[in-house]
Amino acid sequence: MSESNQPIIEIRDLSHTYKRHQALQGVSFSVGSGSIHGFVGPNGAGKTTTLKILATLLKPQRGSVRVFGLDIVNDYKNVRRKIGFMPDHFSLYRQMTVQEYLDFFAAAYGMDMGERNRVVGDVLALTDMAARRSDLIKGLSRGMQQRISLARVLVHDPTLLLLDEPASGLDPRARIELMEIIQELRRMGKTIFISSHILSELALLCDSVTILDRGSVRYSGSMAGLSHSTGETVDYLLSLVAEHPDTEGALRKVDGVVAVTKAAKAPQYRVSFQRKQTDPNTLLRATLDSGAQILGFQEIVRQLNQAFMDLTEPGVPPVIQITDQEQPPLVVPPGEPS
Amino acid sequence: MKLPALALFERALRLETRSAVICWARIGLLAIILITLLPIQTLARSGWYGAPGLRFLQELVWVNLVFITLAGLSYFASAITEEKEEMTLGLLRMTNLNPVAILLGKSTSRLIGAILLLLVQVPFVLLAVTLGGVGLHQVAAAYVTLLAYLFLLCNLALLFSVVFRNTATATAIALFVLFLFFFGPYWAAGIERSLATYYHVDLHHSIWPVVTKTIEIWRRTTPSERLDAIFQTGFAEPVISFQVMSDLLLGVLFFLLAWLLFDPCTREEKDAAPARRWFWRRTSRPSRIPQRLIGIGAISWKDFTFISGGRIGLLLKFTIVGLLIALCNYVAYENDSKITLEFEGGTLIWISLITTAVWLALEASRVFKDEVRWKTLSSLMTLPFSVTHLAYRKVIGVLMGTLPLLAFFIVGVVLVPNDVGDFLANVFSHPQTFGMMLVAFFQYILFLHLTAYLSLVLKRGALPIAVAIQYLGGSFFLGFMSVFFFAIGNRTAEVIPFFIILICIFLTGMLHRAIGVRLVRAAAEE
Repeated sequence: MSESNQPIIEIRDLSHTYKRHQALQGVSFSVGSGSIHGFVGPNGAGKTTTLKILATLLKPQRGSVRVFGLDIVNDYKNVRRKIGFMPDHFSLYRQMTVQEYLDFFAAAYGMDMGERNRVVGDVLALTDMAARRSDLIKGLSRGMQQRISLARVLVHDPTLLLLDEPASGLDPRARIELMEIIQELRRMGKTIFISSHILSELALLCDSVTILDRGSVRYSGSMAGLSHSTGETVDYLLSLVAEHPDTEGALRKVDGVVAVTKAAKAPQYRVSFQRKQTDPNTLLRATLDSGAQILGFQEIVRQLNQAFMDLTEPGVPPVIQITDQEQPPLVVPPGEPS
Repeated sequence: MKLPALALFERALRLETRSAVICWARIGLLAIILITLLPIQTLARSGWYGAPGLRFLQELVWVNLVFITLAGLSYFASAITEEKEEMTLGLLRMTNLNPVAILLGKSTSRLIGAILLLLVQVPFVLLAVTLGGVGLHQVAAAYVTLLAYLFLLCNLALLFSVVFRNTATATAIALFVLFLFFFGPYWAAGIERSLATYYHVDLHHSIWPVVTKTIEIWRRTTPSERLDAIFQTGFAEPVISFQVMSDLLLGVLFFLLAWLLFDPCTREEKDAAPARRWFWRRTSRPSRIPQRLIGIGAISWKDFTFISGGRIGLLLKFTIVGLLIALCNYVAYENDSKITLEFEGGTLIWISLITTAVWLALEASRVFKDEVRWKTLSSLMTLPFSVTHLAYRKVIGVLMGTLPLLAFFIVGVVLVPNDVGDFLANVFSHPQTFGMMLVAFFQYILFLHLTAYLSLVLKRGALPIAVAIQYLGGSFFLGFMSVFFFAIGNRTAEVIPFFIILICIFLTGMLHRAIGVRLVRAAAEE
């Protein structure tokens, strides 16, 4: 793998246990450079633990974690210079002014006064907080405090941003503004690893996603891969010009078709079939042979929230996991280890 | 039938009954009491002192009084403020619980826990009667005195917990009031005497007899005065004294005040995050980090400015030390003592040492705690430095805000160089004196480490608990070592200080490491 293609984050077989609770179990995934990678999962899935390990706050108990090819345990100081971690709570010195707070972190990263002035001005402009630089952090609204947290993360110009629930508790306007800032940061070449429960916004924002549930990866790959696949079966929506009595029977006879569901009030069928056994063209041919006229035929793509619900349902084993973000998803038969 | 007003109270008691930590704390306390008996009994048998029972009782009761005052203050003062700090008081108020129910549930349940901690000692303290030199009547009177004082303290702290926004302020104000409560009558009496002596005020006319009587009543309400009387040989006063009745009455009064003020003081939920001190500029030109402090030095700047109070805080500390020195001079003048250069030098040396030690202890309890409490440790720990460097830089920051007070010490030494020289010559020519000075120094270093460590593991009261542990542990250890060396021969007693120093160094090293481990864990737990 060439250096430019080297993943920014590379996690292999990561496990972590708190007393008797297994927080992470054999987690493996990677994140490519310059992307926005969503990290989703139900409460207690192990997202924050993973983020804390990536941020070098926790040592991994098993497995390996590399950031920019650096081992996060042995080379933690260099890793810390390249990452910016925004925790899921306000980690702010609220008795400081905005300027003092950012100036303090910039100085801690070793910048001289001239550089600090420039950097603090830049990050305040980016987060649209320049007008509040002399205000006490304590008196700022939640949305503004969140922006200051983000500004703090940016003062040392990190390449990788680790954001844990950055939009939690924000009003819709503040959330939209925060998402715009994150998109702007991506345009600036940053890689962003973002954990969030607001799936609709992640779906718009992210290039790739990892879904974690009960300490295990359920899916890791591109957003496109997630939307178009559910594992071994694929669903299509077939719309006819008019109802035809033989069409449903003809579709059922096609090899590999698992289910055909007719819509109640429209001449439409939802057809589920085995991805490996059936070619969509066979379905079209069978429909035309039955004498029906086709109005439309399209794959039913899942939204992130639907995929999340499907993949995190209790009892469902991990079905899909890919490691290369650019490739189509790798299908793993149910019951086999991913 | 359950009363709604007692619902929270009952729940708090249930939780406390089930708490393993509290159970172990009681067992630990009893173990210490029993162990304390050993050196006292041995030394008494050897004829070092008589009335071992009285000595045992005195030691325990005074430790209890100091511990109740120090630990109880922050324990009781946080009853309501902890809800304010966590912004949960509004939720409590939205339930069916009325102010009395909240006050009973949050404070009186703690009082019951503390009373149980005192009462559980009684059967063991009765051994004092067996040891001799003290009567059952004196034991009962001493513990009733402590219980009444505990009731007063709990409700005084509760009042400030209702009025103030955070625990630190409530504790500080309550401590100041208690300071006045204990020492006020003596100062007032001193001022009254001065007025009579120097300004020829006739204390038998006008309002002065009433003032004199008030000061006398005030003095009699203090537990220290009462305990002094109890420990006198031949004590035969009733167990329920004026002090007991007045402390209980004051306690009830403070509770009623807390009830009265509860609604107006808690109606509005306010952010209890650390505030900028009143003497700081609010938002004008922000303070800048000096060029020489960039990199990890910025951590020291932050703690110097925001924990120690910065340059203005330092100025305030200098002022306070200056005032204390002036007070010493005033007292000496009042007592017709001669104000000599030796006196000034000694005052400067001792006041600067004591105030520096006190301030360092206060800052040891805050230097790491504040980061954990306000969840700022995780952002600090992602800076590219090791935890050891971060911790040391924080310590340097608070030292920068306190050690300049030693300037008074240097001035003192310059004023009386001969006295200091004589003192040092005396110390170095007597190994035992030298050893004891080293013991004091290493014990203090151990104490600072213990305070910092406890501040990371306990929710509140790290400093008073460190004082109690250090005192009890120190007395027990010193006693135990004395008995041991006494048993094997007097000549070897000279090595006691060096054994203690070794143990202090060992424990300090352990705590030093434990603080680092705890900081890493605390950052990950945020």
